[in-house]
Amino acid sequence: MKMFKFCLLLNVLLLSQGVMAFGSKSSDAQKASSSAKESKSSDEEMNLEVKKFTLKNGLRLLVHENHKLPIFSYYTFFDVGGRHEGAGTTGATHFLEHMMFKGAKKYGPGMFDTTIEGNGGKTNAYTNFDNTVYYESLPTKSGDLNMVERLIDMEADRMNSLALIPAAFEKERGVIMEERKMRYENSPRGQLYLEFMRAIFENTPYGGSVIGDVKDLESLSRDQVMDYFKKFYTPDNAIIVIAGDVDADAVYKEVKEKFGPLSPSSEKMKKYREEKNTASLYKHQGRYKRHIKLNGTAKTPMFMLGFPGDALGTKEGFVRDILASILGQGQSSYLNQRYVMGKRPLMSSISAANYTLKYNGVFWISGELLRGVNLKKVEKMLMKDISKVCDKAIDERSLQKTKNQYLVGYISEVEKNAGIAHFLGMRENMFGDYSYYKKELDIYNSITTDEVKKSCKTLFNMDKYILVSIWDRHAKGKK
Amino acid sequence: MKYLIYLISLLFIGFSCFAEGGAKDFLSGKLQKLKWKDLEVVYLEDDRLPVYSMVVYFADGALSETKAKGISQAAFEFLSLGTNRFSQKDIADNLEFFGASYSSNVTHEYSTYTVSGLVKDINPTIKKICHLFADATYPIKELKKEKVRVVNALQNLPNNPGGLASRIFREISLGGTPFAYPVEGKMKDIKGWTQPTLRGHLAYFNEKVKKRVYITGPKSILGIKSIINDECGWSGKGKFVREVTYKKKEKAKGPKITLVTVPTANQAQVRIGKFLNRDEIKQSELMALAADYLGGGFTSRLMRTLRVESGLTYGVGAFAGGQKEYGRAGIMTSTDVKTVSELLKKTKATLDKGAAGEIKEVDLKRSQGSMAGSYPFGFESSSSYLTQLMYLDHVGMDYSELVLFPERIRSFKAQEVAKKIKSLYEWETLDIVIVGPKSLFPELKKVGKTEVKTYKNYL
Repeated sequence: MKMFKFCLLLNVLLLSQGVMAFGSKSSDAQKASSSAKESKSSDEEMNLEVKKFTLKNGLRLLVHENHKLPIFSYYTFFDVGGRHEGAGTTGATHFLEHMMFKGAKKYGPGMFDTTIEGNGGKTNAYTNFDNTVYYESLPTKSGDLNMVERLIDMEADRMNSLALIPAAFEKERGVIMEERKMRYENSPRGQLYLEFMRAIFENTPYGGSVIGDVKDLESLSRDQVMDYFKKFYTPDNAIIVIAGDVDADAVYKEVKEKFGPLSPSSEKMKKYREEKNTASLYKHQGRYKRHIKLNGTAKTPMFMLGFPGDALGTKEGFVRDILASILGQGQSSYLNQRYVMGKRPLMSSISAANYTLKYNGVFWISGELLRGVNLKKVEKMLMKDISKVCDKAIDERSLQKTKNQYLVGYISEVEKNAGIAHFLGMRENMFGDYSYYKKELDIYNSITTDEVKKSCKTLFNMDKYILVSIWDRHAKGKK
Repeated sequence: MKYLIYLISLLFIGFSCFAEGGAKDFLSGKLQKLKWKDLEVVYLEDDRLPVYSMVVYFADGALSETKAKGISQAAFEFLSLGTNRFSQKDIADNLEFFGASYSSNVTHEYSTYTVSGLVKDINPTIKKICHLFADATYPIKELKKEKVRVVNALQNLPNNPGGLASRIFREISLGGTPFAYPVEGKMKDIKGWTQPTLRGHLAYFNEKVKKRVYITGPKSILGIKSIINDECGWSGKGKFVREVTYKKKEKAKGPKITLVTVPTANQAQVRIGKFLNRDEIKQSELMALAADYLGGGFTSRLMRTLRVESGLTYGVGAFAGGQKEYGRAGIMTSTDVKTVSELLKKTKATLDKGAAGEIKEVDLKRSQGSMAGSYPFGFESSSSYLTQLMYLDHVGMDYSELVLFPERIRSFKAQEVAKKIKSLYEWETLDIVIVGPKSLFPELKKVGKTEVKTYKNYL
């Protein structure tokens, strides 16, 4: 079977072969410009073949058949993340994610992962501010066992009747504490990130910490975590995506049989969730024009300079993705050339990112100074630079380069079944449309240098920034 | 164009083991061995996506270095700093414009240079890469800046406790062998990375060392033959293959514990393991099974003991494997500074049980099922598949080894696994490296003879 039609806007995003091999910058820019114009006539597109089903209880199922190898990947997206937590319960969503592997009614402790790993599969999960995502990759058959059917049965079991065994709950608390130490407490970069997110999203649901504050993790009870489970782990709040060597109709039949009897959320619960989705809750309320200093083990200062950004799916969000790439992604990006690779390097690394969450976003520049470089001096220089950067860094060539890199990125994402399942599920979960990638490509392709420049100027001229740095010489810094 | 083609039929004989669903169709007949002016080329046809991946294998690595350690890696990594025609900025901009990825990897025994990108742009991209190999000048100004960054990165290694622990463990556990010195060199070596030494070393790799190209993508990518031959200048002329002779490392009586102190930490990084001599790495499948039984995935013995039953760690993993001339067995984990000795005690008990043959059939079956069952995933990505082939070529094994893997894994008995665990992880023969605060010393002394060192000794 044909994996998928893959023509991929080649005219849109690519220059013809050989043009760039040893060309000069000016001629390249002209070529890039003409290529972008040609692109508008292209009717070729990336197209992943997907069957979508919706059960009566609201559960959505997406299936992409790929029969190249006898394997498949299975993803479950729950529309719940750190943003749903409140004071005193930070980390509850992530805690629940860990407990989902600790046994349910039919498949008790140890059975879920043993069945998967014992038959050649892998399983794991992750939690962020917006989603909790579980994933498995398995051979389609193991001996006489149909692994697709078995996995559907196991997933339905844990969505329906999670055990949350008290002894396992307490052991897992210790595991999460160790995870927290590894990712954040013993990592200056992790500490910096936690504090930065708190500051930029202050007083919004994105201003907490997904891993959880220590005092909350110490006091979280089994009942509180069970409450999260009941509120959010319902079929109408979940999306299943399966990609690989499966038959879509047979999968649907099995999912319907196993998940069909699960009850959807009550109206009260739906309302509760809707309230959590109120856009005004997420509006930036940060205190700007300040420098938060952290005292950590970093031998040279590390920093994150943040600006209030925009939510996922907004035009501005797309434009700023491109802006971030032009400014600070890749060795040839503007900031890298200026601060890392330039005549007098000041930093060992620098990058820019546009982090778009479901209801808001942040644009940041982060870096690490070279030994002996004065942080204050760099701060001044950076702030001065960003007032001029928009005209200096953004041109036809840098825009086209970014579009080319995005194309490679899109292709890389769909190389494996797991990538395809994740790719589709993310879009279904965030936009309610698994094929939203087509719009994304259209939007990225339509973006002009003028739009990127305009967005850049708006971002950097609004005078709203927060700088967070960490250094072992910030003696009076926050610990 | 004329390609000398050796079709490998052997490889696919055993693919019926997962022939359902068209896997056999997908793989059979897709692999070819070619010769481009006597340069060996392994080509895996894959037209699913408009991308290619190419790995150039060089049959020598850091063991080629005589004076300036780390220079092999530097020679590859700094290729893009400049040529007689192009500046660092031009080169980066050009390759990134095509969305190409390029990177190098140097081990003691061999080196690789990997390039990937869109098929549409393979010619200009490979032309540029060849230009770098043929004309890299390592401009003094750029080199100076790069050295400052390398020093900075080494000095900041404590920011990454896991990375620091692995670097130190490697040096300690491989001590006394030719493989102990870090391939990236140490701070004291950096001054030896000069323009002439780098150019000389690159020329050595270009001219003297045997090379093999592994490439995957649609058939059209084979058009780079002339670029590889004429512009990279690579052919079958380079013949040198690194062979290593060393005195067999004897088992030390221990365990030998080294506490490497870092400024402040509330979590200790733990590494346990040892060096394996040439004669100890022959049963690669059995070694892999023993390591998986102990520390592979969420259901391994160590994961069950240390994480699920005790809540002592977020993760633990075990490995055992070899290159051509040597191997390593190891366990990697971390725990709260207050629970290091408890973690070591439970780890020892788990290893001892395994070595004593206290292996439940159900646990062994799980591990065998995990390794044999996951076999088709190694073919899902063509670039990963090529990496497996490259490894087999490097160690001098036939590609048919891949086919035999699941059957061999399932054939091992508990007694064989126990024996292998004993030979790989016998507590008294192991090196234990703890990276954490100095306050851990009294506790560790109770576990065994402990030496205290500062991390700076290893930078």
